[in-house]
Amino acid sequence: MMTTPDDSTDTPASPNRAEEECSTAERVRRLLTEQPYAVLCTQSQSQPYGSLVAFAASDDLKTIVFSTAVTTRKYRLLTECEHVAFLIDSRSTSPADMMQIEAVTATGHARVVTAGRECDRWAGLLTARHPHLAPFVKAESSALIRVDVVRYFHVCRFQEVRQWVPGSDS
Amino acid sequence: MGARQRFVIPLAELTDADEPLVGGKAARLAALARAGFAVPGGFCLTIGAYQRFLTLSHLSDVIQMELGRKAFGDMRWEEIWDAALRIRSAFTGATVPEEVAAEIVNATDQFPEQTCWAVRSTAPGEDSSQRSFAGLHESYVEVVGLAAILSAVRRVWASLWSDAAMLYRRELDLDPGRSSMAVLIQPMRREPVSGVAFGRDPRKPDEDYALIECVPGLCSRLVDGEADPDRWRVRRSTGEPLDYHPGRREGNGSDVPLLDAAHLASLTRTLVDVESLFGWPPDLEWTGIDDRFTVLQARPITAPAADPDDKRAWYLTLRPGSDRLRALRHRIVDELMPELEALGRRFASEPLEQHSDEQLAAALDERLAAARRWRQVYWDEFIPFAHGVRRLAVYYNDVVRPEDPYEFVGLLQGEPLLAVSRNTAIAALADEVRRNASLKDLLVRASVEPAHDPQTWRESLLKQLRRLPEARRFAERLATLLDEHLDIAYGADRLSDRPDLILHNILELAQSTDLVSRQTPVPMGTSASVLEQRLMEAVGADRHEEAREVLEIGRVSWRLRDNDNLLLARLESQLLRAVHVAAERLAGAGRLEHEAVVRENAAAVLVEALRKPSAGIMALPATEEAEKPATTTASAETPRQLVGQPAAPGMQTGRVRRVRTAQDLGRFQAGEVLVCDAIQPMMTHLVPLACAVVERRGGMLIHGAIIARELGIPCVNGVADVMEMLDDGDIVTVDGHLGIATVGAPEFDLELADASGPREDARRRSSR
Repeated sequence: MMTTPDDSTDTPASPNRAEEECSTAERVRRLLTEQPYAVLCTQSQSQPYGSLVAFAASDDLKTIVFSTAVTTRKYRLLTECEHVAFLIDSRSTSPADMMQIEAVTATGHARVVTAGRECDRWAGLLTARHPHLAPFVKAESSALIRVDVVRYFHVCRFQEVRQWVPGSDS
Repeated sequence: MGARQRFVIPLAELTDADEPLVGGKAARLAALARAGFAVPGGFCLTIGAYQRFLTLSHLSDVIQMELGRKAFGDMRWEEIWDAALRIRSAFTGATVPEEVAAEIVNATDQFPEQTCWAVRSTAPGEDSSQRSFAGLHESYVEVVGLAAILSAVRRVWASLWSDAAMLYRRELDLDPGRSSMAVLIQPMRREPVSGVAFGRDPRKPDEDYALIECVPGLCSRLVDGEADPDRWRVRRSTGEPLDYHPGRREGNGSDVPLLDAAHLASLTRTLVDVESLFGWPPDLEWTGIDDRFTVLQARPITAPAADPDDKRAWYLTLRPGSDRLRALRHRIVDELMPELEALGRRFASEPLEQHSDEQLAAALDERLAAARRWRQVYWDEFIPFAHGVRRLAVYYNDVVRPEDPYEFVGLLQGEPLLAVSRNTAIAALADEVRRNASLKDLLVRASVEPAHDPQTWRESLLKQLRRLPEARRFAERLATLLDEHLDIAYGADRLSDRPDLILHNILELAQSTDLVSRQTPVPMGTSASVLEQRLMEAVGADRHEEAREVLEIGRVSWRLRDNDNLLLARLESQLLRAVHVAAERLAGAGRLEHEAVVRENAAAVLVEALRKPSAGIMALPATEEAEKPATTTASAETPRQLVGQPAAPGMQTGRVRRVRTAQDLGRFQAGEVLVCDAIQPMMTHLVPLACAVVERRGGMLIHGAIIARELGIPCVNGVADVMEMLDDGDIVTVDGHLGIATVGAPEFDLELADASGPREDARRRSSR
């Protein structure tokens, strides 16, 4: 059974209903809103690497932000190769029934956001979603990473996949 | 959610069924009121209000972050205190939900505008005959106005996560994650006398008498230990006094007992009546006499813990009140520290080598007794006084509400620490070496010669130095450094007997010009004077005197936390010196093997041997394995990132040097990462040589953190099992901003398609 925010009146109660009533964009938005964590996929010299990160997405879903310590492997990799992907899924809320699981893969380009107004804006977005991470995000040895999303791939019912390019339907 | 949750329930409307929502303290007061006892009115903020606050402010995440950093059972009390400070800071900085504040306003509107309130904790499940959280959660009195009430409520909520409360839960194996807090808000009663009363003696519950204590003024002065009460034992059946101990009165207080026979009889009747109501002999807090008598709270008497190792009482001594801190400051600064310093000097000047056997035995006895006594003083008085700096932290954060809960540390900058003056002396010596090539050559030559007998080696080195005209000053300074600053024991060695070790450190420092500046404290962040001004402005003119005292005691306690360790270390070193002299003498007489490693724990046996010259070869007591061999076991599993506390900011990469023995001190090379169980007085002089520090023991205000922060060196502490996880030579990046130690070169190879194993780990290990 999917959980939905208590105060939402128009959010469907299950992926099946979601499928019937929601666009891919809406399904992506719901999953990105419900799930606080994503698997970040980085690569360099043909070697892929996966990391769990706390993220936040912009209203238009064109940008995903997260923070990492500069001593981490993921930081090193994404500064070497800006092509990254995220996996965001509902396994933790529907572990028993594979057909109920939804997943979104987002592909895009990562870049480190340095100090300034842009940094404040994205840091604010991230800490609004994860207030307890504020000290981590503000630390001198942490980097704020902005990913400009190129495309979302939404998966449900095990194998049904739809693509959506953020901004394409506006 | 079902029916709308009530955040506020007037005391008069509470029923027994509400206890899970309002806690035992509030529920029992309501039961007493229903039974006709006089209790203050007021209202209760339910646990629903606390939970709403927690949810809207995301404080559960903060608590989980703090307590999930490592296994709760592995956290030392200093680390728990740090977590409590950060949690408290998050609580006091968060907003009370509007709907909760609105209900509080409605409730207080039923009372006159200038009502003075008591804001008390009442946590569900906090009191029973087996356990009591009395004194662990906070309560505030004389609170006036909505803003002050909301501020007090936040702090009462935060006290669910106070260090003592969390430690107590750990002792009792309660789950902090399931704990909740309600708050009792009542109009204050100001009466000429108040007190506590026990239906039976908690220590002798089978005896047929009750205990009554009374102080002038507020009951909180008695509960907080700020006033010494008049005490009576009274017969339970009649209230007739069995004995009376007058309390110490402040100033010119009258010697007349605060209660007469009629008051005692009336109080005893109340105790018996409350016992009939609840079915257990109560522990009452009360105020006022005759027709003004009011019960402030009633709880079951807690049975004293049967376990002699129970540390709960000790934990509570770690939070001394203002009066106790003031008294401790006077006693420690004016009496204990001068006495400890004089004793250390006297021991150092005693010519033990020329003593007769009996004199030497007496000297050993005296030193052993002194070490025992001063270690007790350390636990009983020095450690509780260290709370002075913690009280300053809480005071500053409550008043200034800074974003960084450790901003107050800036107030402590530049305090004259003995460890810093020692480091300055070492820096001066390194500077001389750097400017004097022939001196340097001589020292380098000397440092590579083996030192079979360190004492002879020391004299020979000093003699050689004195022969060189330009090295005479260095020789005198070195001798002073050894005797004044390095009279410290480390395992079976005294550092003053091991000039070879400090010589290595001085040469390292001399060769590393970039490290010279580290010898002196660096100002960090906002200056102490600016922070002091910030504190004074926030506190308001009428509390300047109070703030100055909190600040002054905080600074003294910070300074002494370092200095008391060094002075105690000298005492221990002087005990070891007597042990060494005795062992050498007995070895010379053929009663002890020459090669025996003699430690402090041999003292008593040596005394006996010195006094019984006819006894044969003596046996030394077994020693604990203090010097563990390096554990360089090959393993497929290696650490990559270790997590601790960010104890001093900065980020540096270097090779690991674990310090476990005196020998390790001499091996330390400039620019290495100092890794140890805990920075102790015998190794603080290595900190300026290190590029970073990593410790197993955690705490923002412990020795290593103090020194590292003073010198601007990154420090991560509280890293569990760090001595086993890291090896000498490992490359580690120490991130003092985040509290992370990353193992491996910062630039690492990626796994290649044809790689068959963990190349990076192999490279890391082989590069030592």
